[in-house]
Amino acid sequence: MFKHERISAIRPALEAIVGADNVRTDEAEILMYSYDAGMARARPEAVVAFTDPAQVAPVIKLLYKNGIPFLPRLAGTNLSGGTIPLKGGVILNLSRLKKIRRIDTGARVALVEPGVVNMELQRALEPFGFFYAPDPASQKVSTIGGNIGENAGGPLCLKYGVTSDNVEKLEVVTPEGEVKTWSYADPGPDLMSLLVGSEGTLGVVTHAWLKILPLPRHIKTASAAYSSLDAAMRAVTRIIGDGIVPRALEAMDSVSLGAALNGKTDPFPRGTEAVLIIELDGGDLGKVKKDLDDVEKICAANAATAFRVAADEAERELLWAARKGAYPAMARLAPDVLVEDGVVPRPRLPEALRETREILSKYKLTAGLLFHAGDGNLHPNIIFDRRDIQEVKRVKKAGYEILKSCIKLGGTISGEHGIGVEKRVAMNWLYGRDELDFFRRIKAAFDPLDLANPDKILPVAADARAEAAPESLADRASLSPQARSLVDELRLRSRSGERTAVTGLGTRLKADRIMEGAKTLDLRSLAGRAAIDRENLTARAEAGLALEDFRAQLKEAGLNIEIPDLKGSVGGLIASKVWPGIRELLLGLEVVTADGTLLELGGRTVKNVAGYDAVKLFCGSMGAYGVIIAATFALSAGARRAQASAVEPAAWDAFEPDDYHRRLKKALDARNLLNPWIYRTTP
Amino acid sequence: MSHNEQSGEEKPVQAPAGTDAYPPAHAAHHIPSEINELYAPENNGRHLAALLTDLGERNIYDAAAQCNRCGYCETSCPTYMLTGRETLSARGRNQFMRLLLEGKAKNSADAAEALNTCLLCGACSSACYAKVPTPDIVLEGRRTLSGYGDNFFSRAAVKTLLDAPGLFGFWLKLAYLAKKTGLPRLAARLGLYHLLGMPGLADAEGAVDRTPLRFAAELLRRDPSLRPQGKLAVNWAYFAACGPNYMFTDVALATVRVLRRHAGEGIFIENQCCGLMAHNYGRLEDAREFARRNILRYEELKAVFGDFPVVADCSSCAAFMKSYEQLFTGDEDWRPRAAAFAAAVRDILELIPAEKIDHAPADKLEAAGRITYHDSCRACHGQGIRPEPRAVLKKLAGRRYTELPESDWCCGGAGAFAFTQPELSAGVLDRKLRNIASVQADTVVVGATSCLIQINAGLKAAYPSARAVHYSVLLDQLTAGKELPPDNAKIKL
Repeated sequence: MFKHERISAIRPALEAIVGADNVRTDEAEILMYSYDAGMARARPEAVVAFTDPAQVAPVIKLLYKNGIPFLPRLAGTNLSGGTIPLKGGVILNLSRLKKIRRIDTGARVALVEPGVVNMELQRALEPFGFFYAPDPASQKVSTIGGNIGENAGGPLCLKYGVTSDNVEKLEVVTPEGEVKTWSYADPGPDLMSLLVGSEGTLGVVTHAWLKILPLPRHIKTASAAYSSLDAAMRAVTRIIGDGIVPRALEAMDSVSLGAALNGKTDPFPRGTEAVLIIELDGGDLGKVKKDLDDVEKICAANAATAFRVAADEAERELLWAARKGAYPAMARLAPDVLVEDGVVPRPRLPEALRETREILSKYKLTAGLLFHAGDGNLHPNIIFDRRDIQEVKRVKKAGYEILKSCIKLGGTISGEHGIGVEKRVAMNWLYGRDELDFFRRIKAAFDPLDLANPDKILPVAADARAEAAPESLADRASLSPQARSLVDELRLRSRSGERTAVTGLGTRLKADRIMEGAKTLDLRSLAGRAAIDRENLTARAEAGLALEDFRAQLKEAGLNIEIPDLKGSVGGLIASKVWPGIRELLLGLEVVTADGTLLELGGRTVKNVAGYDAVKLFCGSMGAYGVIIAATFALSAGARRAQASAVEPAAWDAFEPDDYHRRLKKALDARNLLNPWIYRTTP
Repeated sequence: MSHNEQSGEEKPVQAPAGTDAYPPAHAAHHIPSEINELYAPENNGRHLAALLTDLGERNIYDAAAQCNRCGYCETSCPTYMLTGRETLSARGRNQFMRLLLEGKAKNSADAAEALNTCLLCGACSSACYAKVPTPDIVLEGRRTLSGYGDNFFSRAAVKTLLDAPGLFGFWLKLAYLAKKTGLPRLAARLGLYHLLGMPGLADAEGAVDRTPLRFAAELLRRDPSLRPQGKLAVNWAYFAACGPNYMFTDVALATVRVLRRHAGEGIFIENQCCGLMAHNYGRLEDAREFARRNILRYEELKAVFGDFPVVADCSSCAAFMKSYEQLFTGDEDWRPRAAAFAAAVRDILELIPAEKIDHAPADKLEAAGRITYHDSCRACHGQGIRPEPRAVLKKLAGRRYTELPESDWCCGGAGAFAFTQPELSAGVLDRKLRNIASVQADTVVVGATSCLIQINAGLKAAYPSARAVHYSVLLDQLTAGKELPPDNAKIKL
């Protein structure tokens, strides 16, 4: 159509910003930015490369003004089609922005540009005795910018959290070309975390402040061989359930192992069907050794056929090379590979596995199975040849069925690879209409013209047709009668336009803050017993449950939650964000919006990148975006780790909303019904 | 915007009519000629019939299609690391070739930049689990470029070298003479270097300090002890690669001395050029002719002496000869002969076992200073030679040997690359020099003459206290004085 002209029209302006060499529209460049590591394909109209992060904002501003879609791209190793320009437009090639600008071991922060390769950062940190925790298998090539865009995980996230837990602050260019610097610890709703995993649909990261950690003094790596995957999975559940927190707990089946070893001598006994890689770390060698002994006992009790502690660094590296090579090594078996990325609550892994295998055999497909077992994250690597149309169809069907089985088992459709274009349709199965609508509002608040990586993450009309609408999650939620009546109450107030002051237990909100005319909403009644999932190490607590009581209930069950001693309720802990560290423990939220819509966000798994990270958006939302009625947390089984006592900030609600906070408020509560004083003033 | 309208899912290419509907992934299927006339049968001579990949024999389409685009090669690709452009990356080049073969890319000239900027270093194949042979695929791509290998200079150089090596030598000496007499610019202007297919020499004057007026082959030919006549057995046959032969005579002579010292008596095989130059210029038929002549020469000797290793002292050359079989994949007659020859080829880097090496005397080591080893691409990526030379150097130099960070990062020499892509080459070299400086090395050991020119040129400008030395030369210097009786083969080859 007119595509070519719309680029030519702004070409001089683009060239003025980045230089003529860095604006490319030639056929080769277009072709080579029309694919990534996934299956989707589409041609961009131009590729713009940057040599300075300061060039990004003016370019985006220009594109937005001219209605041209754009998306950021780095190494292009993503597995869900996130970097495919579905509506043409411009690829923003950030890969030359690869400076490590600062390493501050005192503040434990590294400031980097988005193009820094994960491994390069690790290499730069090592001489200082530090590391950056997220370690996706692709870390040799994938970049920090890409890791943030996809909210990448990796083996170490079992202990240290995924990317969003390890980012301190981001400098972001919004779709409209504004430069913002957001930290998760800023007062108010957590915009930074919303950006993490947003796949370039909400903005482009130009600088990232990352949390860096001292390298552990002692690391012990062991492998355990099993003659059945089921037995291996049982061992995994026991290890975690016993309160041992390995830094990594990985599993692979014989197909993956064979591909990765590639003719090297197989160190495992004949008949090995599954191998676990267990890695423990810590500052206290005695403790690490004791944990290792316990792990060995558990493995033995679950019918391990071999257990071996890596004798030296070389042996350890061999194990990790096999693990991290298992995906690329599939290239030896067939020209194409589809990597699924389902997550289930850890205790459901054996079931998920059984179903996955049934699906694969039903469609006559071969796959190497790979698990971040400790996280309940499974990666079936299905091999095929793209040139075989029938096989491609079977692969896609199988992939979708695997995702459905994960959803059925209480899990999610993506743990770390993102939704991109390839899993858009599956969002329909995971979420109800209300949640999807909620995500769409977030997107529209950031990007009213829908130009930032359009048609990603959220299902488009074509996807909806592909599948019958699933039951809404709201119907599935097991709400207490008190919660139900609260939803009804909010619906009534919404209908009559009545303003609400969410007071929770009344711990922090001073009476003088409450705007005149706002009717209080007390959450005292929402204090049912927490639902503790002993095996999965999670608990769902209602918002009105006092933290003290919550802790007591957990203690009774022999569990605990790693938060400091704070007063108030479960809901208040989240809404006030007096302890920003809550981001690492919060897995799911049930929220009622101003119009009485119930949203179920997140879930019961420690990894979940399906849709925007709205769970964290409610951290610090101070009741103005919605009323939290229940939350699901990750627990720990061992003794409570030493916690520095947190001091509550005196002015916890001293908060000057950012323009984007206001936009979201408008999108979620246009009539300003909830805690209206927070957004009273208009800028 | 019709091409983007849909969901973005790509429709798989229809399998060509008449073949099995959907052959298994590993079955090599023919390149559908209706998809791309570039690979029509009449163009056969211009292309390889099949590639010998790590996964078996594949046609170029299957070889390229084996890439599943995981991207794990990207950070090993020097041109990608410098430019950050997918277009100049290993995966990009591979994908372009696939798209070209599938008819989705119409014109290989569109990707001329991508194809011509490839260093052919092969680091991507080393990083690749499927060992997708990207350098071979890129070369196939270059052969589809119109005019590739047909320009006057490359044709003249290759033809002269092939049909009149004496004339080639004469021209080269003329060029050298001009240089020696202080008229290097004149030589450059006369186009002599271009005529020789070595445009690089014109610029490499600083790097090549001593240009020989007698080539190694001439010197070796005169040595009666290197002739097969009168010998009952040979332990080795020295293959004079063009670099050592025409430019670095000292390397050739050092190699022969090292071979004598450690492997007993052998012969000079009186070879032709290995054909790599013709091959990389796109003149495949000429490359095959070079190969056939060398194979014939080897067979003559083999008929008399039985098996013996053919030893070359330039890794590019050795790696190419080890891949001779691939040149003849469409040729029933020559293929097994090429395979037999290839199996006899050894790089000097891999030949001398470390167990037979003693620690060198202190005074000699003193002169060498801190020694490090640069993996020439065609040694490490092309032949998988990594531990062997290191073991020898460690044995020789002990604590004076130090590892070079990123030792297998290309130096940017890559034959004529340094001169056809000066900017990229300088960027690639820069990283190499930084790494050399980071370990404060004095002597950088290399195995290919292209690296010798390139690294020395870089060091001279940026880090003049260090120099690059060929493996044979250092080995010769550090082990001199331990001569064996001439008929005593010290090692079994």
